[in-house]
Amino acid sequence: MTKSTHEEIPQEVERFDIIFRIQHVIMFVTFLLLAFTGWGLKFAHVDVSNWWIRVWGGAEVAGVIHRVAGVTMILDFIFHVIYLAILFTQGKIGFRKETTIIPLPKDVLDVMQNFAYFLGLSKNKPKFGKFSYAQKFDYWAVFWGMFIIGLSGLALAFPMAATLFIPQGITGWIWQLFALLHSDEALLAIVFILFWHFYNEHLKPEVFPMSWLWVTGMMSVEEMKHKHPLEYEVRFGKGKE
Amino acid sequence: MRTSKSALATVLLLLLVVSSSAYGESSCLVCHNAMSGTSTTASGEVVHLEVKMSEYEASVHGFMACTDCHQSFTENPHMAPEASVADSVKELSEQLGSKAKVDAVAYSACSTCHYEVYEQVLGSVHGRNVVEEGKSDGALCLDCHGSPHTIVKGEGSPVSRTAVVETCGRCHGSEELSEAYGWEGHIMDSYMESFHGKKYTLGHTKVPTCVSCHGAHDVRSKDDPSSPIFGTNKLTTCGRCHDGANEKFVVSITHQPVGPIPHYAEKGLIVLLMSTIAFCVSHVVLEAFSDIRDVVFRKEGSGHDQEHA
Repeated sequence: MTKSTHEEIPQEVERFDIIFRIQHVIMFVTFLLLAFTGWGLKFAHVDVSNWWIRVWGGAEVAGVIHRVAGVTMILDFIFHVIYLAILFTQGKIGFRKETTIIPLPKDVLDVMQNFAYFLGLSKNKPKFGKFSYAQKFDYWAVFWGMFIIGLSGLALAFPMAATLFIPQGITGWIWQLFALLHSDEALLAIVFILFWHFYNEHLKPEVFPMSWLWVTGMMSVEEMKHKHPLEYEVRFGKGKE
Repeated sequence: MRTSKSALATVLLLLLVVSSSAYGESSCLVCHNAMSGTSTTASGEVVHLEVKMSEYEASVHGFMACTDCHQSFTENPHMAPEASVADSVKELSEQLGSKAKVDAVAYSACSTCHYEVYEQVLGSVHGRNVVEEGKSDGALCLDCHGSPHTIVKGEGSPVSRTAVVETCGRCHGSEELSEAYGWEGHIMDSYMESFHGKKYTLGHTKVPTCVSCHGAHDVRSKDDPSSPIFGTNKLTTCGRCHDGANEKFVVSITHQPVGPIPHYAEKGLIVLLMSTIAFCVSHVVLEAFSDIRDVVFRKEGSGHDQEHA
């Protein structure tokens, strides 16, 4: 990965390596399994849920699928964090404001700038780094989901183990809280994925039906220049067009 | 031919009636199979007259004679009560006055065969409501199992796994009775919204129904120390399914309404949910419109391309 402006600019660059791509596939497969089986349970009183859960092999099997998928997703998440730490210690990733996934004040300004553009109040779209605010939102939503849904889900799936960590004084309401958190936040996650991720990565005219980046990991430099101009400048220099 | 056949049938039928000295099921059912509607006794109790022969014979009691239970009816039905009622049945029937207003003898006759079960019921919160408090609300045999004329095993029984929750709910979902007896409000709703209840609705075959935790014939008040859900008894009761159920765990299974902390936490989450959805939807919709606008009205392309131009 060079930042030299003298080197040849390649046709395309690898945006996500194979390890990240596998993490993503595990994440969305388990997400879909969890959403499909959990939805039937959350809305058990709706007539169609009975048929839907039978599609998944009945209530017992759906419960097993849900638990296995949940644990797999959490392991995938933990692996992701460890993998980031490894890349960091090897010096393969570092902090740079144009390429970081960490939210910065600029992201808030970008949101305002973009809304101004949408409404015709500004002629210019914001210029994004490697990760736009939409992508950062998408990414950190998983952390939020893991914290709320993952922890409550673990407690609900393994209640006796959870009692080792639950202080005596809060047992009167913590279980109800776990159940509410788990199901409400899951609904939020599903709606968020449907609106945000599906629009931005599938339905948007320029990517429809989907961006193949999740399979190939590659992004054309042309696309990078267009969608992530600040990253392009960092990698290939400002003057190069 | 038809006339002679039906004449023969009539003769045979009469022979049957006359020859049947014990007034067994067939002779009673000759009339009651064909009857419909109700009759009202002197005390104002409504009696359903119809007993479908086909249903009765298909029921678990189909082998019995009517007078095995309706012991007060003998040769001259409806006219000579107290004929040959067993002492134990008679004694029991006197305790059931508040409940069994039409034929307390028949109501008590279940005890002839189902003696131990009947004893349990009489000692349960249901039975004591009748025999000790003299009320008619406590459930006895017929309230849960339906008419003895139609009791079947398995599917179709009101106490089968698939029907028992609805059967308990006929009383325990009633606002009137909840108020009268000071039950926690919405017992049935809280079960249906629990993980147990939701899985039950979805046809889970092991998840507990009412009777799994509360017991059936010997059901106790939740305040009765011998109830399986009283105090530390819950450790054993919950532990039957949940290995190692401890005190911190068993409090999770309750009919209590949602407490204030989870309630307001949920409200907060709903605000978060709605604002996230509002942001995402408005962003997506506005972006879509601006993309269309750029294509239709600004053919030069979007903002930063112009900047480069």
